[in-house]
Amino acid sequence: MVTSELRLEEAVVVSQEEVCQDTYLLWLSCPPLAKGAAPGRFVMLLCGEGFDPLLPRPMSYHRFRQVGGETQWAILYDVRGRGTRWLSQRRPGDHIWAFGPLGRGFAPERGATNLLLIAGGLGIAPIIALADAALAQGRTVTLLYGAKTASKLLPPSYFPTDLEIVFATEDGSHGHHGLVTDLVPSFLPWAHQAFVCGPTGMYRELANVLRGVSSTAKVQVLMEEHMACGTGICYGCTTFTRKGPRLVCRDGPCFALEDLY
Amino acid sequence: MNIAVEIGGRGKRGLLLSNPVMVASGCFGNGIEFRRLFDIDRLGAIVSKGITLRPRQGNPQPRLVETPAGLINSIGLQNIGVGRVIKELAPIWATWRVPVVANIAGESVEEYASLAAQLDGTPGVSALELNISCPNVENGLEFACHPPLAAEVTAAVRRCTALPVIVKLSPVAPNLVAVAQAVVEAGADALTIANTYPALAIDIWSARPVPSFGGGLSGPAIKPLTLRLVSEVAREQLGVPIIGCGGISTWQDAVEYLMAGASAVQVGTITFRNPRAPLEVLEGLESFLQQQGIEDLSQIVGAALGS
Ligand SMILES: Cc1cc2nc3c(=O)[nH]c(=O)nc-3n(C[C@H](O)[C@H](O)[C@H](O)COP(=O)(O)OP(=O)(O)OC[C@H]3O[C@@H](n4cnc5c(N)ncnc54)[C@H](O)[C@@H]3O)c2cc1C
Ligand SMILES: Cc1cc2nc3c(=O)[nH]c(=O)nc-3n(C[C@H](O)[C@H](O)[C@H](O)COP(=O)(O)O)c2cc1C
Ligand code: FES
Repeated sequence: MVTSELRLEEAVVVSQEEVCQDTYLLWLSCPPLAKGAAPGRFVMLLCGEGFDPLLPRPMSYHRFRQVGGETQWAILYDVRGRGTRWLSQRRPGDHIWAFGPLGRGFAPERGATNLLLIAGGLGIAPIIALADAALAQGRTVTLLYGAKTASKLLPPSYFPTDLEIVFATEDGSHGHHGLVTDLVPSFLPWAHQAFVCGPTGMYRELANVLRGVSSTAKVQVLMEEHMACGTGICYGCTTFTRKGPRLVCRDGPCFALEDLY
Repeated sequence: MNIAVEIGGRGKRGLLLSNPVMVASGCFGNGIEFRRLFDIDRLGAIVSKGITLRPRQGNPQPRLVETPAGLINSIGLQNIGVGRVIKELAPIWATWRVPVVANIAGESVEEYASLAAQLDGTPGVSALELNISCPNVENGLEFACHPPLAAEVTAAVRRCTALPVIVKLSPVAPNLVAVAQAVVEAGADALTIANTYPALAIDIWSARPVPSFGGGLSGPAIKPLTLRLVSEVAREQLGVPIIGCGGISTWQDAVEYLMAGASAVQVGTITFRNPRAPLEVLEGLESFLQQQGIEDLSQIVGAALGS
């Protein structure tokens, strides 16, 4: 029995803006892909006409907003290669084919009132979706947000006002001089749950840091792996967890840190 | 309009496809993933992910590299093993109208035979497809390149099952026609032409091959190559249906394969780009036939081969 149809939908570009160096914010109107969307889940976007590039690009939901009874959604992305360069050239009114929502997102528990969010670099994209949702639910949220250098940090005006943020940069150009994971031990005891998105090196570092800290906080991280289908049919995105091989696109991208490292 | 396709039969147990559009092994999971996402019963058949005797974790990352209009994959036959397939998947398949073809891969003649014997008589399994052409496991191409070995494995499987046996050939067999002849003589009921092409990309920033040991190329890039192979084998009129598989991405591609001599097609990589692609290929094919006033699919099979 078909319960919800998965098909390419035509998303319409509402706006496109370079929010910091090489990082773009793209707002899209496509109600079918807003249905069932949640922080940590993702969409697949076709980045070009024809069959080259062939594969769709996975992008996390970054933000939602209500406009005239419709839920619009945004992605935040870096220009890395052909696909994302094509995306960055779309203008309001252009169409982009996409399908989703896909994957398992972050799972904040009902009783978790204190949430610690940790973002490294562009990992901020899905973390903001979670911050918006958690604040709207009345939770208290602290964000630890690190990047290589100040010019790669999103400006403070970008964030919800009732979000407490602690910045870190590897070159010391803004906030804590060092890695964002350095900050975790002093904040984790306060948190009921922690949610993390960043490069895999950051997860490994985090697992190391946490070995020295006693805390009951359950830490969930978003994994990234090269994907072809995003729907669990190609077995390309396997990650080897303590519980055995898992598909990042279908079993994740949200995983418990303790299952990974 | 008659678009049904018969595989096997000839006095044995046959497989009747309601239409010629199947989905290729490894490109549709095990069918379970999409059963609530579109009407899979409309497909001609679903071919399962490759099944091995024991569970396999598959190859390390990176497993996927995109190339111009193509994809190099090195999955390495990640699967749960035949035991769990029979216990967990087959009972679900048995409830579907769409037939499921079990794609099997072994490392020896005995392994293929054992897989066939275990799957024989399993409700939910409508046919076997022997993958003797996987480039992503050690010696995966051995059977596909040597006609006597290909015949031996086909005959061994034939002895162990009453199910229709489809043999999936490699596009890089030095003499594909000889392999095709050998497996048909050994009892194959149909041929799938073809698997992926062994291929490689280099990450120039790390000076390393990706995937680490190369992989198999699929997608639109390979369509003209495999199309030619289908026509070469079809010319030989071996008396069994050919299932064309390689880069089929639109209904026009499917029509080309049929005209080159395929009786059915498998849609693979393009489903990663468009989850509904197999159904769109079918819908486009149906309207083409209708528009052309073609009453029976067999009228266009091999239409481009000449006399
Ligand atoms: C679940 C998930 C969510 C993602 N969310 C975001 C997001 O919100 N914002 C964002 O900017 N990026 C996100 N990514 C990464 C994004 O998909 C890649 O940056 C994008 O595919 C690059 O495409 P390209 O054509 O520009 O680059 P390509 O030319 O294909 O490659 C350029 C570089 O990007 C890397 N890359 C390519 N494809 C992927 C991929 N599928 N996953 C990881 N790295 C890849 C390559 O290693 C290469 O170094 C996400 C990835 C996943 C798996
Ligand atoms: C990710 C992936 C996994 C595959 N796994 C299998 C497999 O397990 N067994 C098999 O016989 N073929 C496998 N194939 C090959 C396909 O079934 C098909 O023969 C090939 O991809 C060519 O068709 P296409 O260009 O339409 O994809 C796989 C292909 C891809 C891309
Ligand atoms: S991307 Fe295909 S299975 Fe995950």
